[in-house]
Amino acid sequence: MAGFNDKQFAKLIQRTLLGGVFLSLFLLFLGFGFTLAGAPAGGGLLKAGVLALLLTPAARVAMLIYGYLRGGENYFALASFVVLGLLAVSLLV
Amino acid sequence: MTVFELTAFNFSSLILFGVFIGLLGSALGVGGGIFMVPFLVLALKLPIHQAVAASLVAIVATSSAVAAVNVERGLANIRLGITLEVTTALGSIAGALIASRIPGSAVQFMFALMLFPVSVLMFLKGRHSLNKAPARSAPPCGEVSDFDSSFFDPAVEDHTHYRVKNMVPASFVSFFAGSLSGLLGIGGGVVQVPVMNLLCCVPMKAAAATSNFIIGVSAAASAYVYFRRGLIPLELTAVIVIGVLLGSFLGIYAMYRARAEKLQMAFSAITLLVAVKMLMK
Repeated sequence: MAGFNDKQFAKLIQRTLLGGVFLSLFLLFLGFGFTLAGAPAGGGLLKAGVLALLLTPAARVAMLIYGYLRGGENYFALASFVVLGLLAVSLLV
Repeated sequence: MTVFELTAFNFSSLILFGVFIGLLGSALGVGGGIFMVPFLVLALKLPIHQAVAASLVAIVATSSAVAAVNVERGLANIRLGITLEVTTALGSIAGALIASRIPGSAVQFMFALMLFPVSVLMFLKGRHSLNKAPARSAPPCGEVSDFDSSFFDPAVEDHTHYRVKNMVPASFVSFFAGSLSGLLGIGGGVVQVPVMNLLCCVPMKAAAATSNFIIGVSAAASAYVYFRRGLIPLELTAVIVIGVLLGSFLGIYAMYRARAEKLQMAFSAITLLVAVKMLMK
């Protein structure tokens, strides 16, 4: 796992989580702005904001797959992959 | 279906409540959904299915914000977390599917019943940490495994190393924790933290952080089910999420450990009160 240690891995996970959270906050604020202004786009933006938040854990699991594959820890990559698969299933049922 | 009106009063009280939940989640690790669902049902007269859905979204928010910090500090055991997430996610999908097929009154009844043991657990935990010094390094416990980890504990100014055991039974209990989460809109940390601490020998701090890490995925899995069924009240949830995120970040940067234990005792009493109120409704 040359050039990719636990610290970098943790940073990657942290950035993914914060990225998702802030994207969601941004969309929600924008959505409320539009709603208050009476623009029809407001509802859609709120929905997008909630969806961005809900997809954040999935993005984090995807990063785990990447990180564990890169680190050669196939067992944990597989576990992450199964979890991502389950999340996909729950979006479909 | 109740129509929620977003008045200025509702808006500010929801934001405030969200901040309270976020503070609670980040400072105590448990308690988000346990107060969120009753608040929405009792105070805002929201149907319980919608309350559960909104609560799950709020849990994803706290978990993501808090996990970002815990992961960087090395507190959350990611290997342990992702492994337990497999059965937890399965359970939470099952729980959400069951909940969407049974009447709200049944969900509400189960929620109230669940609050009684939770109240006792919170009380015991609060009393335990008040009486005992927390600086206890983990006992040598079990065989060496890939799940073993360590973290820096500022309370003892040293790294705490620990071994993880009993992964198979822990996975089964995680399924149960997940289904409780999907069914009732709570995180499931109430079950997950004691299980990791007592069954897997994970030190309390790492168990709380890892549980928080797991909860994000299990709450998301059940939230997807509610989302697909159009059960998430959008505007209300959006307001709560903004409050919860504010509260979480506040809580992370202002964690008063000594007071957290006393808070826990107080919350145990509130939980008991809420349980009685929900049963009577």
